[in-house]
Amino acid sequence: MNYSHEYHKIINLMSKKTFFTIAIALSALFSANAQCDSIANLCKKNISKEYISDGQSYRALLVNQEIAEFAATFYGGSTYRIAACSGFSDGNLIFSIYDQDRNLLFTNSEHRNAPYWDFKLVSTLNCTIEAQLNSTAGTSGCAVLLVGFKDKL
Amino acid sequence: MMVSSTFKKLKNTFWAAAFISIFLAGCDGCDRDPKPGPVDPNPVDSNSTNVVSVGGALFSIPSPLQTAMLIKETGAKYNNAMMNPAKNAEKYNTKFKRALNVGIYGADVGYVTLYDNGQDAIGFMKSIHNLSDQLGILGAFDAAAVTRFQNNVGKRDSMMSMVGEMYRNSDGFLKDNDKKDIAVLILAGGWIETLYFTTTIAQGSNNPKVLERLGEQKYTLDNLIKALNPYRNDEEVKNLLDQLYELAYDFDAVNVEYTYVKPATDEANKVTTFNSTSKVTITKEHLKAISEKIAVIRNTITG
Repeated sequence: MNYSHEYHKIINLMSKKTFFTIAIALSALFSANAQCDSIANLCKKNISKEYISDGQSYRALLVNQEIAEFAATFYGGSTYRIAACSGFSDGNLIFSIYDQDRNLLFTNSEHRNAPYWDFKLVSTLNCTIEAQLNSTAGTSGCAVLLVGFKDKL
Repeated sequence: MMVSSTFKKLKNTFWAAAFISIFLAGCDGCDRDPKPGPVDPNPVDSNSTNVVSVGGALFSIPSPLQTAMLIKETGAKYNNAMMNPAKNAEKYNTKFKRALNVGIYGADVGYVTLYDNGQDAIGFMKSIHNLSDQLGILGAFDAAAVTRFQNNVGKRDSMMSMVGEMYRNSDGFLKDNDKKDIAVLILAGGWIETLYFTTTIAQGSNNPKVLERLGEQKYTLDNLIKALNPYRNDEEVKNLLDQLYELAYDFDAVNVEYTYVKPATDEANKVTTFNSTSKVTITKEHLKAISEKIAVIRNTITG
C-alpha cells in the first residue's frame, strides 16, 4: 500500500473542503460587514449637525425575531438623539428603551417605527436599548444604532 | 518536507479562497449610495460574522467629549497638567498601549478643544494619527482627517463634531476589520482619561456636581469591564481588568438611589423626556480611594 499516495489524496480532499468552507465563511463575513457599513453611512443622516456623535457605531446582525441588546448610560442634563436603521429604508428597526428596573421608557413602535427620536434626561440613567427587525420588512439584516448628544436640555 | 508542502498547499488554498470571497462580496462593498429598499430578504447567519454582540449585549461607553463638556459646565478651570504630553506617543511600543493611548489622546483633544486651545489639540491629533499608523488602522484616523481638523481650529463646535465623527468612523472601521479588541481598548482609554480628569478636579474642589458626575461612572465601569472581558486571554488586558475590578469594588460603595417617574412624550417634535431621577451619594473617603486607583491605572498606561 502506498501510504504517501493515500496521504496526498486525503490532503487534496481536505484542501477542497477547506477551500469552500473558507470561501463561504469569508464571503459571508465581507458581505455582512459591507451591508452594516452601508447602513451605518445611510443612518448618519438622522443625526443632525447640532448633535455630537458619541464615537461609537452599534451594529448587530439579526435573524427573524432576534433581539440585540445595548447597555448604555445617559447623562442627566443632556439631550440625546438615537437613530435606528436596518435595510435601506426607514422604519425597518424597532427599538425600545428600558430603565434599570425594566420599566419601558420608550418604544418607537408606538410612533410608526420612527427612524430617530430625541430624549431629554432630567437625571443620569442606566438603560438597556433593545432592537429588533420589523417582521413585516424582512427576516434578516444588520441593525445599526447611532447615538448623538448635546449638552443642553 | 511533507509538512512543508502540505502547509504550502493549505496556505495557497486559503489565499485563493480569500480572493474569491472578496470577489463575491465585492459588489456589496462598492455600494456606497444604496437605493431605498426592504431589509435584505436573504437570511444571514448571524453566527457566521464578526459583527455579533458579546454575550447577547453590546456596551455603550459615554463619549469622553461629553464627559469633558459636563466637567466644564461645573465651572472647573483649565488644567494643562492633567493631559498626557503629545510627545509621549513616541514611546508606546505595544498594541495594547498604543490603542489605549489613542483613546486617552481623544479625551485630551476634546478637553483642550473645549477650552479653545487649538494648538494643543493639533498636537494630540498628530499623536493619534501616528499611533493609528503604528497600529495599522490608518483607515480610521487618516492624514486628511487631521488636516480637516487643523483647518477648523478656532471653530469649537465644528472641531468637537469632527472628533466625535472621527471616533465613530474609527469604531465602525475597526469592527468591519475584525479589530474589535482595539476598538474596546480605545474606548477604555477615553473613559479612563476622563475619569482621571474628574477625580483630579473633584479633589481640588468640593463641587457636588463634579462628585455626582464621578459617582455616575459606576455603571459605565461595569459596562467597560463586560466589554473588555472577552479579551482577557491577553495578559495585558487581564492585568487592566484586574485593576478595573479593584476600582469597581470602590465604586460599589457609591450609592445611587433611583426613582422611576413616567416619561413625557412630545409627539409633534419627536421628543421624550425621561423624568426618572438618580441621586448619587459618594463620601470623601471613596473619592480618595477611587482617585488613587484611577491615577495608578492611568499613569501605568501613559508611562
